[in-house]
Order: sequence, then structure tokens, then C-alpha cells
Amino acid sequence: MGVDIQNFIEGLMTALHPMNILWVLIGGFLGTVVGMLPGLGPATAVAVLIPITFGMDPTSALVLMAAIYYGAMYGGSRSSILINTPGDGSAIAATFDGYPMTRNGQAGQALTISAIASLIGGIFAIIGFILLAKPLAAFALKFGPAEYFLLFLFTLSAIVSLSRGKMVKGFIAMAIGLMLSTVGIDLQTGVHRFTFDIPQLSEGIDFLVVIIGVYAVGEVLYNYLNLDRLKNKNKLGKKWITKDQWKRSKWPIIRNGPIGFLIGVLPGAGGSIASMLSYTTERQISKEPERFGKGAIEGVAAPESSNNAASVGSFIPLLTMGVPGSGTTAVILGAVIMLGLRPGPLLFEESPEMVWTLVNSMFIGNIILVIINILLISVLVKILNTPPRVLYPLILVLAFIGTYTLSYSVIDFYILVIFGIIGLLMKLLDFPIAPLILALIVGSDMEQNFRKSVVAHDHIMNVLLASPVTITLSILTILSISYPFIMSWVQNRKSKQADAA
Amino acid sequence: MNKYLFSLLLVIAVVLTACSDTGGSDDASEFPTDNIEIVAPASPGGGWDGTARAMQKIFDDENIIEKNMNVVNKPGGGGEVGWQYLKDQDAHTFAINSSLVITNNLLGQSDLTYKDFTPLAILTTEWISVAVAPDSEFDNGIDILEQLKEDPTSLKIAVAPSLGNNDHLAFVQAAKEYGVDVTQLEFMIYESGGDVVTALLGDHVDVATMSVSEAKEQHLAGKLKMVAVGSNEPIEGLEDVQTWKEQGIDLEFPHWRGVMGPPDMSEEEIAYWDETISTLVETEAWQELLVNNEWESYYMNSEEATEFLEEQTENYNQLLKDAGLID
Amino acid sequence: MVRLAMPLFFIITSIVYLILTFDLTKSRTGDPNAPLYFPAIIGIFLLIMGIIYFFQEWKKRSEAVEEFKGLIQGRTPVLIISSLVLIFIYTFLFERIGFLFSTMIFLGGLLFVVNGIQKWLQNILISVIFSFVTWYSFSELLNVSLP
Repeated sequence: MGVDIQNFIEGLMTALHPMNILWVLIGGFLGTVVGMLPGLGPATAVAVLIPITFGMDPTSALVLMAAIYYGAMYGGSRSSILINTPGDGSAIAATFDGYPMTRNGQAGQALTISAIASLIGGIFAIIGFILLAKPLAAFALKFGPAEYFLLFLFTLSAIVSLSRGKMVKGFIAMAIGLMLSTVGIDLQTGVHRFTFDIPQLSEGIDFLVVIIGVYAVGEVLYNYLNLDRLKNKNKLGKKWITKDQWKRSKWPIIRNGPIGFLIGVLPGAGGSIASMLSYTTERQISKEPERFGKGAIEGVAAPESSNNAASVGSFIPLLTMGVPGSGTTAVILGAVIMLGLRPGPLLFEESPEMVWTLVNSMFIGNIILVIINILLISVLVKILNTPPRVLYPLILVLAFIGTYTLSYSVIDFYILVIFGIIGLLMKLLDFPIAPLILALIVGSDMEQNFRKSVVAHDHIMNVLLASPVTITLSILTILSISYPFIMSWVQNRKSKQADAA
Repeated sequence: MNKYLFSLLLVIAVVLTACSDTGGSDDASEFPTDNIEIVAPASPGGGWDGTARAMQKIFDDENIIEKNMNVVNKPGGGGEVGWQYLKDQDAHTFAINSSLVITNNLLGQSDLTYKDFTPLAILTTEWISVAVAPDSEFDNGIDILEQLKEDPTSLKIAVAPSLGNNDHLAFVQAAKEYGVDVTQLEFMIYESGGDVVTALLGDHVDVATMSVSEAKEQHLAGKLKMVAVGSNEPIEGLEDVQTWKEQGIDLEFPHWRGVMGPPDMSEEEIAYWDETISTLVETEAWQELLVNNEWESYYMNSEEATEFLEEQTENYNQLLKDAGLID
Repeated sequence: MVRLAMPLFFIITSIVYLILTFDLTKSRTGDPNAPLYFPAIIGIFLLIMGIIYFFQEWKKRSEAVEEFKGLIQGRTPVLIISSLVLIFIYTFLFERIGFLFSTMIFLGGLLFVVNGIQKWLQNILISVIFSFVTWYSFSELLNVSLP
């Protein structure tokens, strides 16, 4: 399509209008705050704010809702890093190294790098949006059931391969997550599976409830074990990152912005998959993989760059084709339709000023958000100052409130408690949690796409060989599963040779 | 310490005032005597929630109802959770409904029928369309049905979000009328209308059935081709798309939404809702909402709605049998 | 032998799941078994992993189980059990007496158990203020429907 400079400038001017800047500011701030609370992800945040947009100019409404969305991407990782309780699927990867950094007394630096990585990832994605929106949309359409099935399979295998040395436990966690994903009405046939006649279960188990249960409730229960020995950590450490840390993070940030962006463009994948894949990629190509999981700064930078880029990317299908690329953009679509705007394939031609206003507002918004988030660090770190005996009861209560806003039913409270206990047991027995959650997130999509692809391609082998994309993903899947075994075999050989010498 | 005590007292005072505010109700003689509750049996962000919140806003803005109104979300079980909740409320509560209140029961997924409630009105409808890829060999609905008559499994048909819903049954009814063996049809079920559009745009399915609003923009942009709609008259702005009737298939298939109250409402209460809702659908704000959402007014008062639901139940029973979903 | 409890638990889970799977309603359209292929694969996969896990633990059967020691030390069991009891009370009260008061009771109760009775004033203040602020911001500012 080429970039129309005039439209771009006009969009920039509209985005710089004080009212729109104010909306970006409000949206970004609200998103950050809401994103930090367990259970309140971007989709919920946008949904509950819809009534506020009634009567607003559609462009401003879109600007506001987009700001809430990427604001929540910034905010989501705050609670992951500080108290090990992600608020949403896409913030899980930030716990892997972010929380260890906090324990090492580097909370400030972890928060700083995550904000900077988000900014750079976001800017990459915005540039990608400006230059490539239409061709990428066409590429995303080519992703059929076979491609999605293998993408999900690859993500799962990559995440299990993280649990080096306890692969069996990783596979068990994954299998349990997949089992949970089969609860509910089977989409293709309408058969009720494992619902035990409870109507609330017919739409499946919400993965967000499981995330809050396993992480937030589980973490609180786990901390009861050492409650009286826990001192105020009060170790913000340095706020600014060191030169060495920047050197380590620079390339992971640059590499994973585009990865996250591309995955975000695919309707049906999203921030959770983007950030998990970025984390595993960085760890697998790292020269010192043993540092990961113990507070490696690049393990925070990579997924943060990726998930923010994904949130920008998910606007592409929405704005070029009128189909939502993620749960949150689906809610945004519903809201702007109420306002009389109908994003569709003609949006770029019919109201270019709106598209370019949005793009420019994202640019401004990301810069504002970095400033907000870096300023907030000194406030947030007060959380670590709160005595644990007060902090953990508060987290527990917030977990329940967050859960209620997801389904408006106390039935989910029981699910929350059950998963809290499961989370506690998993922590005690050293089971990896991420495979369980990710399997639950992608499980039902994976099954449905698998079944659709078998219908479409008649045979399972044809599914694997359906296109260059599926072949690549099949190979990557096999590699990621066998990689840990190959590595240990190579190491064994090396040590044997050393012994021999 | 004094400071703490003061703020404690302050908070308690505020809490108490806040509570007494909502509890108070003036002259208790005429209905409604209490706050009104609108049940959206779904999460925020969808059509049911949108309808509920729009009703709340217009009732309030236009001073049709003086009492406070709240929207409560009770998602789950395709409306089941919200309607179960409604059953135990009094006449100050009503819920949004759709054909699911009929089909859930017919499909054996719920014990509730419309008879367990008091139908108050039918409000809006959408129409259902059939679409294909722009370079498809099919130019109208009949061509598709002709091919399916020869070989019912030759085309993959996309539908969302479940079997037995309106998008699915509208196609089944059209095919049945033409003499296709509908139990053999190969449906691919997607999670949302957006996914159906994506699948069709990416050539992963051959035919899609979905509401007009989901396909309209794509059709106008030439990204996909609408070949039939289930409305009585051609749709405004889409005059080039023939209705099934124009193509010789006797079919009118509304995808309606309405409201219903709890069981055993008094005549006075029903009359109150007939009056307020008929005022609501006349407002400009309501008309604007319909236009924005590509909905059409389908207003029926409580009496007409009850008859309509009875008719619809028979109709759906037959359709679900035809589709092979029930015996 | 405690060591073998977990693997056995997974093996039993997978068998129960498989039994439930084969008991599923058949589909009325297309392949009648379509809904159960995927669950069956997962069930069998978990069964295999459970058995491997069983043998891994079997090799270590002479080692003592340390993992659960923390659970029964100090006041941990009291904390966990009283939290669970409070959660059930909260779940019971939530839709009956409304968000505001049930949350005050829940948070207050938790704080008295975890933070101690000595700090009663702090506990009461926090639970009242926190409940009120969250209630106000959700229900009034954000229009979330709370009981």
C-alpha cells in the first residue's frame, strides 16, 4: 500500500491533540494499574470500561481502549516480577527470571529493563505496522488449521523442554493442563465433556482462574511456610540498569520484538504464546543457558519485548480485515461497533486518518508508558516494604475479587481454591507450572485445529506436510523436544573425553 | 493515633451513608418499588451485554424509568446460568434472551423453557447470510444447494459458535427446502463470527453462514461474496444480494433478541414493562443503536412475544430433527 | 512409600479420566467418536508418564521425603487451614450479604490470623478501608456488577 505521508502527518496531528493525549494518558495509566492486579487482564479492563466510551468520538474511544490494552502489557509484568503472581497469560514468562531478580535484590533493574524492553518491542511493532500491515494480514490468512495446530504443538514442546532434568514432571504438568482444556462443550460436535451437569463448566475452565489460583493463591499458601522468617526484603537495589546488563539485553530485545509482532498478527495466537516462545528461544540460543531461571536479565527482556509487540500486532487483522486478532481486540471491536464504527477491509481507504491517529497514538502512548512505569518503580517497590503478614492477605483478597470479575459466579471461587492447593503442591514437589498453564491456554484450540486439519487434509501425515510453514514447525517441534537430550549426550561425551585425557 | 481513629470513623460514616442510600425507597404503592436489575446472561463485551447496557442507558437518559438500574452479568451455559438466576427473582429483574432459551431445552442442555418465564418483549433481529470467497464458482445460493444435493459432503461449511444455533439452522432449513440430505453436511465449527470470516478469507472453507453484520463490510470491499440472505426483503445497502425467497426457497430466518421476566408476574407489572419498553424502542437513541449494530427492529409486546415463542419452539423442534441433532 | 503416592495419584487420575472419556456421549453428527480421540490420547500419554515417574521415584525409594516437612512446621498448618476455612465462609457469604461486608470479614479474619491479634487496630483499619476502596472503585467507578 505504501505509506501515505500526508495521512501519516495528519494522524500524528490528531494524535497530538490534547484530548487524545489525555485519553492515552488515562488509558495507559488505567491499563498499567489494572494489569498489575491478579486476574484483571486487558480484556476485562477494556470490557468494564465500555460504558465510559458511550458517546465518545470513535477515534478517541479506539485510542483509549488501545492504550488500556498495551498499558496492561506494561503493568502485567510488574506483579510477576515483584510478587511472582502474573495477572495474565502474557505476563507468565516475566516470572521465570523477573522474580528471581527480585530475590537477588535487583527488583528495580528488572522493572526498568521490562519497561525499556516493552518500549523497544512496541516501537518495532509500530514500524512494522506502518510498513507491512497489509502483506502481513494476507500472510496471516494463510495460517489454516494445520499451521495453528503445529504452532501450538511447537510452543508446548518448547515450554516443556525448559524443564531440563525433570522432563517427566514437565510432561505430566502439560498432560494435566490438556486434560483441563477438554472440559466443556466440544465445539465441533456440541457434546458436553466432563461437565458433570454444572452449567458454569460448559464453557470450559477459564485459564485466568487457574493462573490466579496456581500463582497468586498458591504463592500465598507457599509463603505461609516461611512467613515468620520472612523479613521485609526492602531491597529495591539499583533502579537503573548497568552497562553489562544492557549489553546482555540489547540483542534479545531486538530479536524478539519482531517475533512477538509476527505472532501477534496471527488471529488465534497471542501474547502468551509470543512471550513464552521468545523466552524459550533466548534460552536455547544462549551461550550460558544455566543462568536462565536464576535471575538472568535477558530472560526478562526478551518476553517483555515480545508481548508488547504482539499487542500492537494484534491490531493488524482488526484494522485491515475487521477480524479481531486476540480476545482483547474482540472486545474492542464490539465496543467500536456500538459507537457506529465498523472496522473492515475498507477502513484504511475510507478513514485513513483514524488508522493513522491510532498508530501515532500508540507511538506516543508507549513513550508515555515507559515514563509512567519508570516513575512508578519507586512507588511499586513499597509493595516489597509492606510486611508480608499484611501483603499476603491482601493478595489473597485481590485474587478472589479478580476471579469474580471474570465470571460473576462464586463457583469459580472453588476452582480457585482447588488450584491454589494444586499450586502449593506443585511448588513443594518442584513441578514446573508453565506447561500446565500454557497447555490449558492452547489445549482446546489445538484440539479443534487438529480435528479441522485432519478433515481438511484427510490424513495426519498430510497435516504435517501441508505447507512450508507446517514442515518448519514440525522440524522445530522435534528439535525442541530432542534438544535437551542431545545437549546432555554432548556434555557426557565431553566429560568422558576429559576423563580419558 | 487520633488521626487513625478519625479516619476510621470517617470511613464508617461514609459506608453507612452509602448503604442507607441504596436501601431507601419512596412511596411503595406503585410498581416498581425497588431498583431495577437487568440480567445479561453473558460476560461484558458481547451482544447480550451490549443490549442490556444500552437499555439501561436509554431508560435512564430519557427518564423512562426513574428508579436506579443495574446490569448484572451472569455468564455460562449459553444463558443457562443467567436464566436460572432470573427464575428466583421478583418482577424488578428481567433478562435478555434469544432463541437459545428454546434450543438449549430442545437439545437437552437445559430444563428451562420460555414457559418458566414471562416473555416481556422481542426487541431486535439480525438476518443470516451465506457467503463464499469472491472468486468462487458460486454466484447464488441455489448453485451451492444444487452441488450439495448431488454430494452433501463436497463442501466445507463454516459456522460459529456451535451446532444447533441460528447460523447453522438457517442453512439447514434452506438446504432442507431444496431437498439436500442435511444430515450429511460437513460443518466446521469456529469459535466466533470473526474466525469464520478469517477462515473464508484464507480459503480454508468453501461456504460460510453468518449474520449479515459480520459479512457486510467484507462483501462491500469485495473480499467475500454474499450469495443469499434469510430476510423477507432485500437488506438496505445490500440490494445486490438476493434473499432466499427471491431465489425460490421459502425461508425467513430471524436471529432475534428479546427480554423476559421471572415467572408469575402480575398484570400490572407486565403492563408496566409493555409501556416502558414500547417507549424505549421509539427513542432516537435506540434507533441509532440499531443502525450502528446492523440490527433491525423486531418489536413485539409481551402478548405477541409469548405467541411468537410458541411458534418458534415448534419451528426449532422440527429443524433440529431435520439436522439430525435430536430424535 | 510416601514417595510413590504422587506417581500413583497420576496413574489413577489417568485411568479415571480414560474411563470417563470412553463413557462420553457419542456425537450425533459426523464420526460418532470424534469428541473422544483427543482426550484418549492425553489420557494414555499421562498414564505412560505416570508409570515412568513411578519408576523414577522407585529408584529413590530409600531416600527420605523432605518436600512436605515445611507444611507441618510452626504455625503453617494453622495458617493454611484457617485461610481455607475463611475462604469457604467468604464464598458462602459473598452473594448473601454482599461484597462490601463479606470482604471486610474475610480480610479482617485473614489479618487477625496472619498478622496477629496484637495489631488489631491496624487489621481493622486495613480491612475496612481496603474493602471500601475496592468496592467503590469497582462498583461505582467501573460499573462492575458486584453483589
